[in-house]
Amino acid sequence: MKYSLLFSAIISLVVFSGCKTDDEFDGPSLNDLYGKFSIVEPLSASVYDVDFGTGQTTFFKASFSKNIAWKLNITGLESGAKKEITGFSNVLDATNATWNGTITKLPLFRIEDCAVELTFDTETDTLRDTLHVASARINEGFLLSDFEDGVNPGWQSFAQSGASMSFAVQTSDSAAQGAKYFDMGGVVDWDWLLGYLYLPASAYGATTYPLSANPDEVFFNSMIYKSESLSNGILLFQFTEDDNGDGTFTSANEDMYSIQVTLSENGWSQLSVKYSDLATLVNGSPATPAGNGVHEPNKLSQVNVLFLKNPSSGYAHTRLDYLIFTQGAPLVP
Amino acid sequence: MKRTFYTRLILVLLLGSHVSAQAQDDKKISFTGAARSLFYADKLTQDTSAIDTVTIPKLNSGHVLVDLGINIRPNKNTEILAMVRLRNDYGGFWGSGVTFDLRQMYVKGVIGGIVKYQLGDFNYRMTRYTMWNYDQEVISNAPLAFQQQTDLVNYDHFYNSDHSWRQQGASLGFALQFSRFVQELQVNAVTTRVKTSDFGLTPDRLFSGINLQLVQSKYLEAGFNYVNLYDVPGTSKNASGFQNPVYTGTLQARYETKNWEAKLDAEFGNSKTRFKNDTLAPDWKDKFMDGSATISQNQTGLHVTVNAKIVGSAFRSPGAQTKRIDYNGLPQAYQRITSNQDLRQLTMLDLMRESSFYNLQFHPYLMDFAPRYDNITPYGDATPNRQGMTIKLKYAKKSIPVTAEFAHSQLQEVRGEGTLMPRKFNRNTFTLDAKLNEFFKGWKKQIHLTLNYRDDKTNREGEDLVKAVDLKTNCLSAGLEIEVLKSFDLLFGIQQLSYKGFDYTAVRNTYSEIFNFSEYRVDGNETLQAIGARYRFSEKTFLSAQLNQFQSKNALSSLPDYSIKQFMLLFQMKF
Repeated sequence: MKYSLLFSAIISLVVFSGCKTDDEFDGPSLNDLYGKFSIVEPLSASVYDVDFGTGQTTFFKASFSKNIAWKLNITGLESGAKKEITGFSNVLDATNATWNGTITKLPLFRIEDCAVELTFDTETDTLRDTLHVASARINEGFLLSDFEDGVNPGWQSFAQSGASMSFAVQTSDSAAQGAKYFDMGGVVDWDWLLGYLYLPASAYGATTYPLSANPDEVFFNSMIYKSESLSNGILLFQFTEDDNGDGTFTSANEDMYSIQVTLSENGWSQLSVKYSDLATLVNGSPATPAGNGVHEPNKLSQVNVLFLKNPSSGYAHTRLDYLIFTQGAPLVP
Repeated sequence: MKRTFYTRLILVLLLGSHVSAQAQDDKKISFTGAARSLFYADKLTQDTSAIDTVTIPKLNSGHVLVDLGINIRPNKNTEILAMVRLRNDYGGFWGSGVTFDLRQMYVKGVIGGIVKYQLGDFNYRMTRYTMWNYDQEVISNAPLAFQQQTDLVNYDHFYNSDHSWRQQGASLGFALQFSRFVQELQVNAVTTRVKTSDFGLTPDRLFSGINLQLVQSKYLEAGFNYVNLYDVPGTSKNASGFQNPVYTGTLQARYETKNWEAKLDAEFGNSKTRFKNDTLAPDWKDKFMDGSATISQNQTGLHVTVNAKIVGSAFRSPGAQTKRIDYNGLPQAYQRITSNQDLRQLTMLDLMRESSFYNLQFHPYLMDFAPRYDNITPYGDATPNRQGMTIKLKYAKKSIPVTAEFAHSQLQEVRGEGTLMPRKFNRNTFTLDAKLNEFFKGWKKQIHLTLNYRDDKTNREGEDLVKAVDLKTNCLSAGLEIEVLKSFDLLFGIQQLSYKGFDYTAVRNTYSEIFNFSEYRVDGNETLQAIGARYRFSEKTFLSAQLNQFQSKNALSSLPDYSIKQFMLLFQMKF
């Protein structure tokens, strides 16, 4: 027995002194799977009074004893806006927990205090902090309206004289962005149309909208709202082009592209559509373009917003906020 | 006249020992094959207070079969074999339970007296890291009493002692002899079809290999080997395709004097594993080196071998790493036991006698294994992620009818699994084979004793809540064959296997990547005992009757301890 142990010891010394092991390992860390979890560094933010409007960002810091799936929730205490950041790591830092003022769920953040909460998939611990948004993030693009200054005097609007009609800018904490939105609703039992807003380029001091000629690079975005119990509303967005450049739109020989949106998701949701994906519609069905059939956003002369509903479907309602054209990609609010 | 570098082209060695030599008789048609009759009567006993009213405790099964091959030699350079298997399970009368299968078929011969070829079914082997059919765990070194049953499984699956794989395809070989510097260059090539296309998402999968063996002299040989398991593009609608080329070099050197002999044996190489057009798949490559030195002293009969090896964690060689046993299989006999009809775990008894676990095809991934049986070399020498040394001491002398061998291995992982700390493996084996009758002068009847002992340990220190790894496996077997009357032997055998401890087992995805670990804890033992008698009608024909008792105890299993008593009657003939 003594010799056996001695023999093993000598062999072990010879063998393992010559064996080199890799400085990385196969598979997930056993420590992550079975190790004890503890907070090494509590949650904190790099900037607590963050000015997103100037392009400032903030990142969160924390560290744990092992890699773990975590979730960071930021909630606007006035707007109710939410941002969620998730990851699997043992540290939160600028590489995986930076916030640039964007949201995960509408509405948008505004100037307000925000609650920050860090939770873990497999642990009960919750870390909390608060920070202040000094200014909201500014999105790049051509903003048609966020309704904060009311209705543009260059627009045309029409509303039927139905029952319980609402066709005006409203001020409320529940706006998708800022404090105001455009409210549309009512009962019209003789026509599909409840009302419309026409937004000509002339309202912005030009004959056409200042957009790129490439329809694959131009995106139209809007925030739309569906009331919980009402699903009969239809929003029709029309885009008229001045194909011949005469300063007016002639429906007989110029293009009008459309998108028809049936309200389906409760609350605020974002509509983003690529200009080249817009279709020619007649009564909601695809049709042949009347003009040259080429999507030319640089010739866009007017945007129409029509709120429709089946005349026999009773009361319909929606809200509209933050109409904006973006370049290169859909709006990332 | 200037001599040409090589003087003649002759056939020297083609497929080696793994292709049976062409028969020398001149008959154009001859018959070959085997026949057997096997009967089992089993009885299950469960050690539980809850009476099992569901499981039928007694099972009888068996079959009689004939493998009948027709060997046709239309000319002196061609041989054709077709073998059919007729099998009738006991109780299958009037055609019920009768099967009729084509067991094997091939054409082989010599082209122009130079190139030997074989088409159809054949057994093929290359090196231990390229194409090698390693023995199954635990049961392969069992005493003869148990080996009789394992031999049936091996025969049915074409598992031969030369570790060749049964394949279907084409092989050829020839050799060049040289007059100077080099004696001979042997060239062997093989291509086999491993999987057939379903014309959907499964492509044709082939296995190809080339072996170049340069014999410099009786003192020095060097070889180059290339094998590849690969999907054939365009044979399915699946754009992705598997490829696993392995390149190895071999070197053998030997030197001997009247009393001493020294041998060096080395193999080294690398592998690449690719899943083409699959963006989620890993792209692996890794290497291995394995070298042994043996010194033998003929007067004392002592042989000392030292082996050192390193096999990378991403080294993949399906031809050498595919296992005989598919551990995902379930036992056919007593598959579910207890009143709850819980699944019974595969045991040593099942490995010994059941065919349903055994595998014939190469797998592109690392197959599952049972750490309780072998946690150190589950894929044989080609087990990835191992490095270390083995020392063997062997006693074998022609004049003494006893051979004994002791081996000690100390291995560890090249790369830790789930932690930077590698697991360490420690193995001791001892084998003894003694023809005791030769110690008694004038005693001509055989008395043959065999002993085998294996002791495995796996260790790794723990950290925080990551538990320490400590898994032990011990296997002891002893066999005795006594020829009491001429050609009539009494057989005794016992094999005891115990395992206890804890390890984390890797859970792998379809690419063999580790994506999780599961806790593996065992504490049990299995014992197999046999007493029997055998009458040898001839060297190739015998009748054997045995009583076996198998016991399984597992402290951590939901199953109760149980035993299976088995009566076996086996008649076997080869012709």
